[in-house]
Amino acid sequence: MAFAVGSFITLYGLSRSVHENVERSFDEHGTDLTVKRRGIAEPFGGTIPQEIIPEIKKIPGVEDVAGQLLTFAATDNDDNVLAVGWSPDSFYWTGAPLKAGRIPKPDETKVALVGSEIARTMGKTVGDDITLLGEKFKIVGLTDYHSIINRNQVIVKLEDLQELTFRTGAVTFLSIKLENPGDQAEADRVSQAVEALDKLTVSPSEGMLRNDSLFGLLTAVSSAMAWVALFMGVLMVLNTLLMAVLERTREIGILSALGWSKERIMLALVIEGFILSAVGSVVGILLGVAGSKFLSSIPSIGRYVAVEPTIPLIAITAIAAVVLGVLGSFYPAWVATRASPAEALERA
Amino acid sequence: MTSSHLLQLEHVNHTFDAGRIVALRDVNLDFGEGESVAILGASGSGKTTLILVMCGIRTPTSGVLRWRGEPISTLRQWTDLRRTEIGIVFQDFNLFSTLTAAENVEVAMFGSGASTAERKRRVEEALDTVGLARRATHLPQELSGGERQRVAIARSIINNPKLILADEPTGNLDSKNAAAILDLMFDLQRARGSTLIMVSHAPDQARRCARHVNMKDGQVVDQTFAPARRMRRLREPSRTRLSQSQAPARAIHPHHPRRGVCRRQLHHALRLVAQCA
Ligand SMILES: Nc1ncnc2c1ncn2[C@@H]1O[C@H](COP(=O)(O)OP(=O)(O)O)[C@@H](O)[C@H]1O
Ligand SMILES: [Mg+2]
Repeated sequence: MAFAVGSFITLYGLSRSVHENVERSFDEHGTDLTVKRRGIAEPFGGTIPQEIIPEIKKIPGVEDVAGQLLTFAATDNDDNVLAVGWSPDSFYWTGAPLKAGRIPKPDETKVALVGSEIARTMGKTVGDDITLLGEKFKIVGLTDYHSIINRNQVIVKLEDLQELTFRTGAVTFLSIKLENPGDQAEADRVSQAVEALDKLTVSPSEGMLRNDSLFGLLTAVSSAMAWVALFMGVLMVLNTLLMAVLERTREIGILSALGWSKERIMLALVIEGFILSAVGSVVGILLGVAGSKFLSSIPSIGRYVAVEPTIPLIAITAIAAVVLGVLGSFYPAWVATRASPAEALERA
Repeated sequence: MTSSHLLQLEHVNHTFDAGRIVALRDVNLDFGEGESVAILGASGSGKTTLILVMCGIRTPTSGVLRWRGEPISTLRQWTDLRRTEIGIVFQDFNLFSTLTAAENVEVAMFGSGASTAERKRRVEEALDTVGLARRATHLPQELSGGERQRVAIARSIINNPKLILADEPTGNLDSKNAAAILDLMFDLQRARGSTLIMVSHAPDQARRCARHVNMKDGQVVDQTFAPARRMRRLREPSRTRLSQSQAPARAIHPHHPRRGVCRRQLHHALRLVAQCA
């Protein structure tokens, strides 16, 4: 029981966190609309030619446009990090919060801004080198983002990353800043205008992932895993309880011989189930929280998601577990009390 | 020799399988206070059925049972009687495996209105009476068969019942333990003046009872009353006194059984229900 509750909380928390963390990382860049290649399911798979940027800038209502190239890149010690390429004139740079060092100068190449979490886990600081895709980059600054994904990314010059990934002239996303960010009609008009230019899709940066099939799949898989864990746990508990019908029958016989009525016996056994599942839930919640902490502490997971079980998730899981536990103890008790006390004792 | 009517059976019949098996056939019996009765008979003669009918666990197909002259008609009356006036001892002990000796005894006191302190005191007293004071915190699987039956006996007497029913209480014990259990039961019966009705198919055990009820094919074929002279001798306290030292502190199970959070919940649940309902 405790394990079922624990793994459900951990896994479900994981799936929620994947979603939330990625969204939060987009929000932090302060953009209004995000443009992607239409019809590509991989989040970093589609590319958009840079030449389209000036054309989008001409659309009325657009204040600025910038493109970024994203890729998972091999770094030191066979680790992978999210590498991001920004062009020197893009507005991204001005929004990047710095913890130490400085922003790269326009003419510098092979320089990097490193997320605070990467700097911590890899023991890097300003002045050190970091390897990306086999090339050495000089760390000129440390960023100070909040979202876990941004804290684990390495920002380099767009041209450097394009060259290393053989994607010259291409970016993964375009970000659009609107002149009047609150104006929904304007946002819709800009989106339509952009989509008319080429095979592109535009979505509000906030809810972008809601429409992203890969992240949708990821969330679906991990929440499915969570449900399977809970289901297995419940099955195991039910199985144990059904196996306990025999033992229950005997206990009911004893209680009956001691002068307990069927109703009181039933009530006692259901309360027993309640105590058992309540204890199981509490232990499970502790396991779940510990499991989430553990998952977050694994570098390859903690780099992209902070697994945080939320209070509603914990509460709903605990309530579900207790309800199932009570129902699960009610059923075998009910089966067992249907036998007469005499049968219960004779079968013992 | 019966001072007053405690339990009476009038024309009691019991059948199984829609009348195909007749377990009790027109049984008429009258038990008085303070009696010691042995029920004798071959296997399948209806002894167990008789015991279960006499405490209301089985409802007879027909016939009347009276407690102190009053007919008992409802299951509710029977459960009340079993809680207060009738103690039952079974061949296979029927203890709760997850509860300690003391807790097993205490369960019979839930709902008696006794306070926690009072329950504790009386449980200790009862375990002391059966020579198990040092085994109070042991689980049944840590106890020998004889010790388990003594826990069951302590449980059966905890509410000072007027009637003790025992269905082959020594059937699962070796002869040495069997003798000790019988001594204990007869001592308790005499000390408390309660009625003891015991199923037995060992004639030497039955000899210690003042009255014999012989059964065959569900019928009482005859009853014998031991001569008063012989009974007087048997009324002397038995020599094999139970003492603490009789059961040396030995590990029945080398490993320790499961203890902890998932053990006492039944005890808590029973106590809660007993206190609230
Ligand atoms: N639950 C039952 N269902 C059907 N027949 C039973 C049941 N219990 C006892 N009997 C039958 O009733 C008769 C008396 O059984 P029982 O009272 O157990 O005898 P004893 O205890 O003297 O061995 C036997 O023929 C037995 O097979
Ligand atoms: Mg029998």
